[in-house]
Amino acid sequence: MTGNRITRREMVCLLGTSVLSGWPIAAFSGRSRQSAKGPSSGPFLQVALLPCPDYARETLATAIQAGWRSTRPPDVRGKRVVIKPNIVDVSSDRPIHTDPRLIEALILHLGGMGAREIVLAEGTSHNRDTEWLFRCSGYEALAKRQGVRLVDLNYDDISPVKSVNPRATLLKEISLPETIRTADVIISVPKMKTHKLAGITLSMKNMFGILPGIAYGWPKNTLHWNGIPLSICEINGTVKTHYSIVDGVIGMEGHGPIMGTARKAGVLVMGDNALAVDATAARVMGVDPARVDYLALAHKIRLGSLRREDIAVAGARIEQVRADFALDPEYAFLRIPRG
Amino acid sequence: MMNERLSRTADYIKAHQNPDGGWGYGRSRMSYVEPTGLCAMALHIGGDKAGANRGLGFLKSCQKDSGAIGIGPRYAEGSWMAYAALLAFHALGPGGTEEERLRNWILSFQDASGQFTKEDLAAAATLNRYDASIPGWSWTPRTTAWVEPTALFIIALIHAGVPATEKRIKSGVDLILDRRVPSGGWNFGNPYSKSNELAASMMSTALAMVALGAAGVAEDRPAIGAGMRFLDRSLAGDVSTASLAWILLAMKTYPSGADQVPGIASRLAGLQADNGGFRGNLFETALAFLVLSDAPILRPVSGRRG
Repeated sequence: MTGNRITRREMVCLLGTSVLSGWPIAAFSGRSRQSAKGPSSGPFLQVALLPCPDYARETLATAIQAGWRSTRPPDVRGKRVVIKPNIVDVSSDRPIHTDPRLIEALILHLGGMGAREIVLAEGTSHNRDTEWLFRCSGYEALAKRQGVRLVDLNYDDISPVKSVNPRATLLKEISLPETIRTADVIISVPKMKTHKLAGITLSMKNMFGILPGIAYGWPKNTLHWNGIPLSICEINGTVKTHYSIVDGVIGMEGHGPIMGTARKAGVLVMGDNALAVDATAARVMGVDPARVDYLALAHKIRLGSLRREDIAVAGARIEQVRADFALDPEYAFLRIPRG
Repeated sequence: MMNERLSRTADYIKAHQNPDGGWGYGRSRMSYVEPTGLCAMALHIGGDKAGANRGLGFLKSCQKDSGAIGIGPRYAEGSWMAYAALLAFHALGPGGTEEERLRNWILSFQDASGQFTKEDLAAAATLNRYDASIPGWSWTPRTTAWVEPTALFIIALIHAGVPATEKRIKSGVDLILDRRVPSGGWNFGNPYSKSNELAASMMSTALAMVALGAAGVAEDRPAIGAGMRFLDRSLAGDVSTASLAWILLAMKTYPSGADQVPGIASRLAGLQADNGGFRGNLFETALAFLVLSDAPILRPVSGRRG
């Protein structure tokens, strides 16, 4: 590990090292549990981009149903479905976490689709005080109201799962919470945010939160030492996200994922391939996904595709809903020029 | 003397001991070192020596040849939960070889502070406004040191008899003081993110205060006063079970917190469920038991500077 060099970006807040060269692409190819077929002559991935101007119950239900219909959702009938929101922290004046009203609408939708059991699960990254976070974010009350289990992944039972990357080092064996390991269906529901260390954070980055703090520390520092792009790809390559829904109704711009400011995008971005969903959400944010290092790596190792021509977007057109999120000056290079 | 409520808590802990002698965070969950260390100490105080010793046996089964203890028996590398094992070793059988080996391993535990270049250190000083060269303790070896693991190891080492003048403890104290949030209190360990001051959190602040108190940092230091005021303000709002227990210990640590102690103790005791447990979480239950029973192993010690 001492050989890894620290990038200025990662030094900004977490003093981690980055592995920005020597991608083990060949090692990954074809092994991923999330892999999609390679470049083709036409779109082979489906993403729904749904206008969703507010968190009203009816608005959310309509958008979720429309997105579900126009993509390739998992069959949840009789299944145990784990919903992974993003609850990295809580603030009364900044939209840090996935809005619980969206999660509630999703729970109702999944119940209607015949899910046997629905579990809300998160392993918070910064603040170790999960009881307080779950209560103050509204998730404790939501879980009680809907009769679903709320699991703190940081302290769950864990067992080792071999990484999809045979050349992995720090994450050679991933300590995975039983709640995640035994899930039939995993749905990642992140907040649409900028990120001081990764550029943007969406569905794939949200999966950092499935790794338990008891094994990886807070703020999951081992993953930063492993390199953020590589960690994101090793986690997403090893653990399949069956569906993603990005909460872009109100996102966060600027110095995210905690200290940024609210930015309304008024959309949900949905689909079964996390990379395609993230690439589409990035474009909504005015970000070129190919310039986001972890998305570019995920594309190279075939966790899906970020190319526009590979993704059929149902619902709104990206240009119609594009809401350029203010970027940290260090990430200005991510911006897609208008016009 | 235990009261009836604490006796029920001890019974609850006893009832949920796993066959391997350890405890999980939840009932019938996988045994881990942290809840086992605290539950074993609680049973010891509660008078169930046999149960406590089974817990001790689990902890010993987690110890490696190096003296290290990780989060459970199958983890080859030591990590942050070793603090709880050291407390338990000392409380249940002070002076044993396991304790000595573990203490030596903790004192040799390496964080990442020695790995940073001058440029890295300058960047941290500019952007995060702290000194990344100060050695402390990290959650896992060879990664960045943070406030909470540093505080937990300081607390354990001092209770196990290591003087506050020991260089690793002094360095850990320096790290905690260096990482304080300017407006008062501590968070996980980043006072700033670029130009933004980050907020303090209750658990981090309480742990930092307990550690600093144990290391003999005087109450008249500005960081202590600001931390006490942050905790005082925080108590007006929602507080979790674990944070409340650590805050109670912090208030017991410094004289200016004495007036708060009865009220916080009553608030914490009020979180006890009818079955004697706290939130169904064995770690929180044992922590509440130890703090409410004024257990010697967590009783504030101050100024053991050797």
